[in-house]
Amino acid sequence: MVDKISKDIKENVEKFKNTFKDADDLVYRNIKIGKKNKKEAYLIFIDGMVDKSVISDYAIEVLFDEMEIDESNLDSYKTSLSEKISEESIAVHDVKEEDSYDKLVDMILVGETVLLIDGSDKALILSTRGWPTRGVQEPQTETVVRGPRDGFVETLRFNTALLRRHIRDPKLKIKTLQVGRRSKTDVAVVYIEDIANDKIVEEVINRINKIDIDYLPGSSALEALIEDSYLSLFPQLENTERPDSAAASLLEGRVVIIVDNTPFVLMVPATIGTLFQSTEDYYSRWPIGTLVRFVRILSAILTAVSPALYIAFTAYHPGLIPTAFTLYLAASRVNVPFPAVIEAFLMEITIEILRESGTRIAGPIGTTIGIVGGIIIGQAAVEAGIVSPLKIIITAITTISFFAIPSYEWASSLRIIRFAFMFLAAVLGLYGLMLGIAILIVHLAKLESFTVPFSAPYSGLGLKEGDLKDTLVKAPIQKLKRRPQFTFPKDKTRMK
Amino acid sequence: MKKNETISNLQIRNLLITTVIGVGILALPNQMVTILDNDGWIPIILGGLLVIPFAVMLDRVYKLYPDKNIYQIGREVYGKLIFNIFMIIILMYFVIQDAYVARIFAEVVKAYLLETTPTEIIIITILLVSAYLARCEIQVLGRVATLVYIILITLVGFLVLISLPDADPTNMLPVFNADFKKLPSAITGALFSYAGYEVVFIAYSSSDDKNNILKYIIRGLLVVIGIYLIVFVITLSLFGIDQIKRELWPTIAIANEVDLPGYFLENLEGIVLALWVVVVYSTLGPLLFAASRIFLNIFTTKSHDFIVLLLIPIIYVISILPVNVVEVYEKLGKVLNYFIAVSIIGIPAILFIGALVKKRRSKA
Repeated sequence: MVDKISKDIKENVEKFKNTFKDADDLVYRNIKIGKKNKKEAYLIFIDGMVDKSVISDYAIEVLFDEMEIDESNLDSYKTSLSEKISEESIAVHDVKEEDSYDKLVDMILVGETVLLIDGSDKALILSTRGWPTRGVQEPQTETVVRGPRDGFVETLRFNTALLRRHIRDPKLKIKTLQVGRRSKTDVAVVYIEDIANDKIVEEVINRINKIDIDYLPGSSALEALIEDSYLSLFPQLENTERPDSAAASLLEGRVVIIVDNTPFVLMVPATIGTLFQSTEDYYSRWPIGTLVRFVRILSAILTAVSPALYIAFTAYHPGLIPTAFTLYLAASRVNVPFPAVIEAFLMEITIEILRESGTRIAGPIGTTIGIVGGIIIGQAAVEAGIVSPLKIIITAITTISFFAIPSYEWASSLRIIRFAFMFLAAVLGLYGLMLGIAILIVHLAKLESFTVPFSAPYSGLGLKEGDLKDTLVKAPIQKLKRRPQFTFPKDKTRMK
Repeated sequence: MKKNETISNLQIRNLLITTVIGVGILALPNQMVTILDNDGWIPIILGGLLVIPFAVMLDRVYKLYPDKNIYQIGREVYGKLIFNIFMIIILMYFVIQDAYVARIFAEVVKAYLLETTPTEIIIITILLVSAYLARCEIQVLGRVATLVYIILITLVGFLVLISLPDADPTNMLPVFNADFKKLPSAITGALFSYAGYEVVFIAYSSSDDKNNILKYIIRGLLVVIGIYLIVFVITLSLFGIDQIKRELWPTIAIANEVDLPGYFLENLEGIVLALWVVVVYSTLGPLLFAASRIFLNIFTTKSHDFIVLLLIPIIYVISILPVNVVEVYEKLGKVLNYFIAVSIIGIPAILFIGALVKKRRSKA
């Protein structure tokens, strides 16, 4: 049973006042419509969520001045009062009639204005949304040397518009869902109808619809709620702040999920291959793009294994490194009172603390921490003989490599993995490390992102079709004639 | 949404390659040279080619009974009891093979990486880690195999690259000079190195394109033959027959023998061995998987991941039975030889003939 509004305006206003009790940002503006007939009406909206100039100039003023209501006339025209007002005397671009009370409450909450008119059993919803927003700015996290500078913002509508600017195709579909019993956050699922695979789109929408939560804090919460295995260390969705990279992923047949109030949009499915891609690759020439891809893969390996390798080689297999180097290593560790394992853990934990404190401290002071930390660790620790110089270098390499990986989440998982590897190397040397890698391989192979294997293309899917051309290397654009296979796109060719 | 339970032919090919290539490759040059001197490459090729007709038979059997897996086919052809006996033999074979691989692996790791660690610890750890793989579904095995295949190819390429400067091709000569009466026993020995391809029996019914699968299986076997040949040629041209006969695992010795220009890493065998851990792992895992799957079908239990844990202690006990490496090769190896003959040649042939006769009869 739908709760309808009544014809009596006093009753309606009382009802709204009851619903929004103690909500002081609600505005009830009482006006008398028309110069002659003076019909009573109410405008209800939330202060701050609406564009006030629209209400005063195009609703209130117009209703005051020009409205000539003649009730006897109305009956003969067989139109309702509200319809007449909406057709003839309101100058707002989008006006809807509505009689469901709950719907009206929802509309007030999103920033629309409700116009109640005495004697009418329908209310008008005036599109007056307008709240404080941030303008389109350059994204902080993914900067490029040669590429567009615009980034997503917190407002969902702006973000969908930014995407439309890139893809002017009627097949670009934007489906809006609502998540959150209380927050009623808008979530837009964006895809290109004749490229994206129906199964993936359906799966995304199904999973979002299944969420029953009171408040959706942002896209990272949505990510956790819809990913395949939330217990895994690894991210199974990709996020971006850049419209160009979201648009490119749409054209690969992926689905983009925009969450209101977050500038980070999600892209599914994600694979190891896509997590090593960066927007910059597509704005630089292919040899450089290929080189940086190799550099990133190398960095990923270094982030995960270099401290473990240090432990394994110094503690277990000094015979496996060149003799001259072994001697140097032994000499540099002569004063170090700890075994290599303790030394390595000490340094890696210190660097984690340093990194954490760096993120807490605002801009200019943050650099101070960097310098202080660098001096303390670099100079003092070595001079005091707590750690060997080589370990400092290893730690530095690990830390730098971390930042060379484009996806922060992906890099963070490797960062955590490195502690597990260090432990294994401390227990069983190189063999232990390799056992860890073997487990990691199986774990990665088990992971799936929206029915797509996470380990693609290296684990087989799309290997034959040439997915490596845009994952392992960055082939010249002339050679990328087909879309990547991992999304099972309906339209396979990109270029003829 | 229903999960995708199929695996691509490319993944089956890789599964075959990574399962077959394991510990056999380490001792293969030694075994072949001991029997046939310089002509050891002949049994390697012949042994591999010998497997192909049986793979074709298996393919025919599956074509006769589309949409059925090997257990259903076997039961239909031979009845439940007789086929279960076959299956128990294969199960025993997989278990012993797994134990054998784990033991040799542990001996190698102990010899080159962890001198002081007890063999038992190494066996237990590798078995437990393999169990993690074996508990997965077939498509995960296919993906892992593909990832490991990349590592394997890198490893072989690396071996070729580092040995090129020191290789002496004249060590290969003279060819066709050996006593060919020993060829049959050499081929039997080489066949040993192709054990493990039986995992395809089980993967077959999960293929997403059964029409072309035979092509991929044969290609996989050819890749294995190729890799064995490459390793054989490298070791022979580096060492010559006399030194190979003294090395138990000549393949690892390759990395020890060569000096990289610049001496960046002195004893490369550690690096080679480390990568090889993953390769052996992808042999143990699928074998364990196959064993548990067969167990599952004989005793009709529900899920196979519990069985894996049940098999681990059995495999462990078998693997520590031999006292030393020599005994592993002589005793376990000998037992396995019979099983391999049954499993590689016997089962496909028996199934093929049985299926053929049955179909003829039902037509008549």
